[in-house]
Amino acid sequence: MRYRITHTTAYNYQQTVGLSYNEVRMLPRPSPNQQVIDSKLQISPAPCDYRVRTDFFGNQVAWFSIREPHLTLQVTAVSEVRVIRQPGQTDLGHGIGWEAAREILRSETGESTLDARQYTLDSPLVNADPDLAAYAQASFAAGRPLPEAIHDLMQRIHRDFTFDPEFTNLSTPLATVLEHRRGVCQDFAHLAIGCIRSQGLAARYVSGYIETLPPPGQAKLVGADASHAWFSVYLPDLGWMDFDPTNNQTPGDRHIVVAWGRDYSDVTPLKGVIFGGQDHELSVSVEVENLGL
Amino acid sequence: MTTFSLPESFASAYRQEPDGYDEMLDETGRIRAHWQHLMQALIQLGPEEVSQRHREALRLLRENGVTYNVYGDPDGANRPWRLDPVPLLVSSDEWFDIEAGLLQRAELLNLILADLYGPRQLIKKNLLPLELVYNHGGFLRVCDQVRLAGQHQLILYAADLARGPDRKMWVLGDRTQAPSGAGYALENRLAMSRVLPSLFRDNQVHRLARFFQSLRAGLNAVAPKRSELPRVVVLTPGPLNETFFEHAYLAAYLGYALVQGDDLTVRDGCVWLKSLTGLQRVDVILRRVDDNYCDPLELREDSRLGVPGLLDVVRRGNVAIANPLGSGVLENPGLMAFLPGIAEYFLGQPLKLNSIATWWCGQSRELSYVLANLPRLVIKPIYRKPGEHAVFGHKLSRAELAAWRQRIQARPAFYVGQEYESFSTAPSLADGCYQPRQSLLRCFMVARADGYTLMPGGLTRSAHSYGEMLITNQMGSISKDTWVIASEPQLSSVAQAGDNGLSGHANALPSRAADNIFWVGRNAERAEGGIRLIRATIKKLFINPERDNPDYQESMHTLLRCVTGTTGSYPGFFGEDAEELLKAPEAELLVLATDADRIGSLPDTINRMAQSAYAVRDLWSSDTWRVVDEIEEQIAAAQRLRKSGLWSMQEQMDQLVTTLSAFSGLAMESMTRGDGWLFLDIGRRLERGLQLVSLLRTAFAEPQSEAAETRLIESLLDSSDNLICYRQHYRANLELTPFLELLLLDPNNPRSLAYQIARLQEHVGKLPREAGNRRINAEERLLLEASCILHIANIEELQSVAENGKREALDSQLGKIYGLLANLSETLTATYFRHGDAPQSLS
Repeated sequence: MRYRITHTTAYNYQQTVGLSYNEVRMLPRPSPNQQVIDSKLQISPAPCDYRVRTDFFGNQVAWFSIREPHLTLQVTAVSEVRVIRQPGQTDLGHGIGWEAAREILRSETGESTLDARQYTLDSPLVNADPDLAAYAQASFAAGRPLPEAIHDLMQRIHRDFTFDPEFTNLSTPLATVLEHRRGVCQDFAHLAIGCIRSQGLAARYVSGYIETLPPPGQAKLVGADASHAWFSVYLPDLGWMDFDPTNNQTPGDRHIVVAWGRDYSDVTPLKGVIFGGQDHELSVSVEVENLGL
Repeated sequence: MTTFSLPESFASAYRQEPDGYDEMLDETGRIRAHWQHLMQALIQLGPEEVSQRHREALRLLRENGVTYNVYGDPDGANRPWRLDPVPLLVSSDEWFDIEAGLLQRAELLNLILADLYGPRQLIKKNLLPLELVYNHGGFLRVCDQVRLAGQHQLILYAADLARGPDRKMWVLGDRTQAPSGAGYALENRLAMSRVLPSLFRDNQVHRLARFFQSLRAGLNAVAPKRSELPRVVVLTPGPLNETFFEHAYLAAYLGYALVQGDDLTVRDGCVWLKSLTGLQRVDVILRRVDDNYCDPLELREDSRLGVPGLLDVVRRGNVAIANPLGSGVLENPGLMAFLPGIAEYFLGQPLKLNSIATWWCGQSRELSYVLANLPRLVIKPIYRKPGEHAVFGHKLSRAELAAWRQRIQARPAFYVGQEYESFSTAPSLADGCYQPRQSLLRCFMVARADGYTLMPGGLTRSAHSYGEMLITNQMGSISKDTWVIASEPQLSSVAQAGDNGLSGHANALPSRAADNIFWVGRNAERAEGGIRLIRATIKKLFINPERDNPDYQESMHTLLRCVTGTTGSYPGFFGEDAEELLKAPEAELLVLATDADRIGSLPDTINRMAQSAYAVRDLWSSDTWRVVDEIEEQIAAAQRLRKSGLWSMQEQMDQLVTTLSAFSGLAMESMTRGDGWLFLDIGRRLERGLQLVSLLRTAFAEPQSEAAETRLIESLLDSSDNLICYRQHYRANLELTPFLELLLLDPNNPRSLAYQIARLQEHVGKLPREAGNRRINAEERLLLEASCILHIANIEELQSVAENGKREALDSQLGKIYGLLANLSETLTATYFRHGDAPQSLS
């Protein structure tokens, strides 16, 4: 499926900003399931310095600075992407058991396993503490195939937790989400990642988008019209597999990946340091157009 | 040579455990060969003389402002540096082995650093566990694939060494981010060679200066290829940092500008220094800021110490940082367990210098060992946060041990256990006799294009009490000089280059430094003016007070109001309760003389002056700094006299006036006439002008009886040191006309307003300004106007009393001049000192 995504972030400042340095992770990365046909950033006011590089996790990062005094900063990413339906997701009961997967992660040093191993460790926003391990335990019965265990975990999160944008913000700790059983897609992804890592397995955070208007006859997904987030699990025999706990599904061809990392802090869409400005208001809009096959 | 043995009295005092190793004494109680000469000389000098020399060394260090800030201790700021008069001696033979081992270790750590931010072969080949590196807070993923130009990534390296019971030297820790201590080692050396010159010479001690030459060469070698003479700056977190003294000292010694994060800015892919003469491109940053704090955009966003955008300039290769961002990844005790294997892999050699035995708990066998042997191990986190220290298992209670076992089991990859070793002892002078103390040696290396250079010596620190193995500056250790000497003393034959400073190219003055210097000038002048006036007031208050004489009272009240105005301690004698205060002014004057919490008090003004001076410590000569130290001592002495009352403080005030004058004089004589000197003198002249104008308005805008004014004139002449000058000039009675002429118009009186304005005009004309701009600038315009008002002023008219009973002309003309001078201060601030807004992070 082909999509055109228009992702706009605008900061309206109370006072003039004279100087600003920014980092943007809004340009979608290519992956085995995703081809990036075109992708560009429109920045207003025009930056005096602009560079794109690939970061530690393989994401596209745009770095820019603005010296022109301004009251509004607007960054728009326009991208055209082709998403290929992820294979092998229908049959969750197959694959190796989760303990065997853990053992492979610990001992094997092949390139992809070694790369996955970093995602078994704690990260800035996700600490796999005993409370998360306790919550995870019900899904990890002895010998259970790994995809099935993760699928069960995803379903339980979807069932046990309420989607509530009013309850959490970017700095809400995971413990609070777990205690009150409320949050947004970002919290659910972090929660699942922490649960999976508590079992010695590898999970990473994926930021991206989902289609705004569903095809006829299908329901609109939660998290449309904004940045979305889910998680991905490393299956030693199959590679990485995505799960969306907010929508209780394994992404097919309606999820568009922008970036991935250990948690949200690795893939923040727009970061900046500004001089001046005082208070600011932030507005974000995302439009995902389905361009057909 | 003849063997010298210890006198009985000495030997009995120098007690040590039978199985411990002592650096000076061998197992049979004899002095080791390389200590013979030193100990003989020390004993011949006698304890009294050595103590005397010791005090002399401490005085030198204190006067040079050598300090170490201790966090969380109310008296911890600028704690004087402590130096033991007995150096640690290392024989040349042993040093040869230490050097070979350390240079190998430096090369090895350099290769590891390059690998961890490059191909990561060590992890792929299973020579380093991924968990040990990726769990470490110093592994900065944003620094991946970033390389310095040149052969070396690790430019500066320091290692802490100690001798274990097996008599071998062991490496206890590696410092690879922003190693501190080299400057202190140099200061120790300078102090020792001054108080024990013959000892130092006869022992043929290796000199340190060459190390600092290597440092300069090493920094030049990593500069982006652009110019012959790269601009190097020293980046400091600021005066509150524990080793700020050293940052300022190294900057001054090496001839580099000392800067804080907001002195630098990123523009067009380069780093620039915000200086008085505009933006100056920076090639190399010698950083003393931890890497996580260096760029709030890509690293810790709450950092106010860094430079937004810095990391991307590094990535583009347009600036080099030593040590590079991310080099903290090597400060990981867990690495020690893997170094032997890595040495074989990279160098094909065994490690020449062992690390202390270390078990990383991220491996199951090692974890079991550590848990089982916890009471006799040292526990360390792999990543040390500020304020965290090693934990000694043998000092823990049963419950604490259990808690630690739980903590380690919960996150085993985050901890190591290390062998608890008893280090060797060396003699220290404590309580008047020589006693054995455990000691640690920090060695310093720097990478030049052709390899690493080791400082021949180092910073030795000894425990504050016998048997203590936790030796850190924060915990109150005592430093020692370290002498690498030949086993047989040799006569000094070759003339060596002295340890004096190396010449550097003139640096542009950072705007912040100019700001600080300006305020040193203003506050020094304010303090001096305040003290003079308070001193004159005390005299009048205590010597022949004529409390019933209305003329006396009137002049006294005016004088007191002048005190409030000059010190800037409003409301004071102008406030709502002024009437009460004027009746019994002693309490308020005492507060002004002693209460540091009162804004405008003498201690407050002097503290501000000293703080500004300290922030630009690198710009003062050592004599000037000694005077700053004396000023602080004297105001503290005055504060201690609080209970004895004002009268008893006069001597301290006399001294302070002298010392403050000495400060001005020294600064005048020892600073080159560059921008720094200009701003110091502008600050002084501006403050003196403002004080004078405010004084004259307060004193004479409202006419008083002639007798009262005569008394006032006498006090003001006295306080401004003009009484004798007045009498020489006018030989007349004290009258307002000649008084105003002397203080306002006399161009040759260095305390007149005309004189201040003339100097300011000269100085402002020399300040850097935009090229090509020939028009008169704002500062010049303000001064020209003030000068005109002053010169067309008519003394008769100024004294005339208007219908409303006031000296309207005097009040309004002086009021205008005051406004112009105050405006000048603001304009200078806006033009030269503006640092812009503080940055904030968006999220």
